[in-house]
Amino acid sequence: MASTIASTIIDPTVSSSVSTKKGRMPRAARAASLAGARVGLLENTKRNAADLLDGIGEALVRDLGAAELVRKTKKQFALPLTAEVVAELSESCDVVVVGVGDCGSCSAAAVADGIALERAGIPTAVICTEAFASTSQAMAELKGDPDFPYILTEHPVANLDAGQLVDRAAHLVPDVVARLTAPASASAQSAADSALSVPV
Amino acid sequence: MTAVDTRPLDPAAATEVAEHLYANGWTDGLPALPATDETVERFLAETDRDPDAVVARHLALDRTVTVRDVAVHAIMAGCLPEYFPAVLTAWDALAADRAANGGGWQSTSGPAPLVIVNGPLRDRLDVNSGGGVLGPGFRANATIPRAIGLTVRNGFGIRPHGFEQATQGLPGRWTMGIAEAEEASPWEPFSVDGGLEAGEDAVSVMLLRTCEFVDNRHFTDPVQVLRDFADTIQRSGSWIFRHSCVGILMNPDHARVLAEAGMSKQDVRDWLVAHSGKTEAELAAVGKGLSRLPDGPFPPDHFHPVFADASPKSLPIIVAGSPNAAMSMVFRVFGEWSGRSFPVR
Repeated sequence: MASTIASTIIDPTVSSSVSTKKGRMPRAARAASLAGARVGLLENTKRNAADLLDGIGEALVRDLGAAELVRKTKKQFALPLTAEVVAELSESCDVVVVGVGDCGSCSAAAVADGIALERAGIPTAVICTEAFASTSQAMAELKGDPDFPYILTEHPVANLDAGQLVDRAAHLVPDVVARLTAPASASAQSAADSALSVPV
Repeated sequence: MTAVDTRPLDPAAATEVAEHLYANGWTDGLPALPATDETVERFLAETDRDPDAVVARHLALDRTVTVRDVAVHAIMAGCLPEYFPAVLTAWDALAADRAANGGGWQSTSGPAPLVIVNGPLRDRLDVNSGGGVLGPGFRANATIPRAIGLTVRNGFGIRPHGFEQATQGLPGRWTMGIAEAEEASPWEPFSVDGGLEAGEDAVSVMLLRTCEFVDNRHFTDPVQVLRDFADTIQRSGSWIFRHSCVGILMNPDHARVLAEAGMSKQDVRDWLVAHSGKTEAELAAVGKGLSRLPDGPFPPDHFHPVFADASPKSLPIIVAGSPNAAMSMVFRVFGEWSGRSFPVR
């Protein structure tokens, strides 16, 4: 009886529109190091995001031989990147750092951007704050890469002062490097594992 | 039909159905009704729209919702078939809403859609515009916004603790539907501010972050009422950007007193826009000084107005509620609303 009733009740989560469900998303191939790499910094206008990414980017140039920083601002932080911007980033950058996902919509959108850039062949490190782990994960699942290794950093970022931002950037650098490069050695892998991040 | 009516109701089956909807995670926490092909057809008969036309889209989550899908959500919310065009028109309004098209439904703010009905439709659907206008107790008022909520939940897949990241949410979220008390208002209907003709059936929607009442019944001078509104409008707690959209759900008695003093709705807006704001020092005292903006820094006595301008988009005024006590509600719009009313179809 129950199953007969249930069978005639419409499932409201299934749209009558055509499904756009895609298969599992591929990730980009990684180089062993960032030497000579053009590093894109995609900041989303959230308070301190540009400064945090700058701090990380400068360390990549200074300490790891990255060639240059390509700074870009994502003004509509709640929405996914357009195909044009993804194409532009994949032309102008070898790797991209995205951040900071520290709100309900921009955290999910940052993960979506990371998955889109990976699909376009660009290794991408996405930084969200711990407060938005569940929605970041929901987007990773929705976009077909449930194990996408976004980086979670302590919340909040928006009210850090200049000195705290320097510290936070320094703390995040090993994690960002681990996301952007192929694991070179056991020690590099263990450093990545010890960082505050979602297991790959 | 009569054969069905004479059959005894089966409360056990009703409970079983309700539990089935809960078990699937399809409700907002309150019991919902089941949608079937038959009930969907009854709703679709109320509109000329193509059942497969897309009425709502969520770009970030790559979801689309059709007329038929909205019928399912409206049924589950408890709408009557005749409410359906109003629900669809609410989605027309949301399609023009910047916040709803951005991250609104996922936001930590947890905004609530306020659905405003104007025109003769108010009587046909029995949408309350008088006492207790913000609810509860009136089916159309409660279920039309709830249908929006169930579309967000089931159609977009935006659920609490998942894609929905509301920090605390908002009392009355998904149940804020009102009609304007056009007959009790001294002014033109709200839908005229939204660009339509008076007397046209219209729905307007805006996302709200909060409401706060203004209880001012012992005034001797209409300017005292305006000062009281301004004081509530310029609160620092809800001040997050340079300018805000703040509206008033104005009691018919407040509207009457202001109109008798010779003020049009626009005069009221002009007065409030000129008088609502805080100084740089007042904002700085709560850590919200605006001196970091490109045109800063500002001297301590610099006056920052709440409103960007005196348009109905910045300061919507809707007349509703009972005149039994001169209480109004000031409400905060999430970001900005479209500024437009939509013809019901």
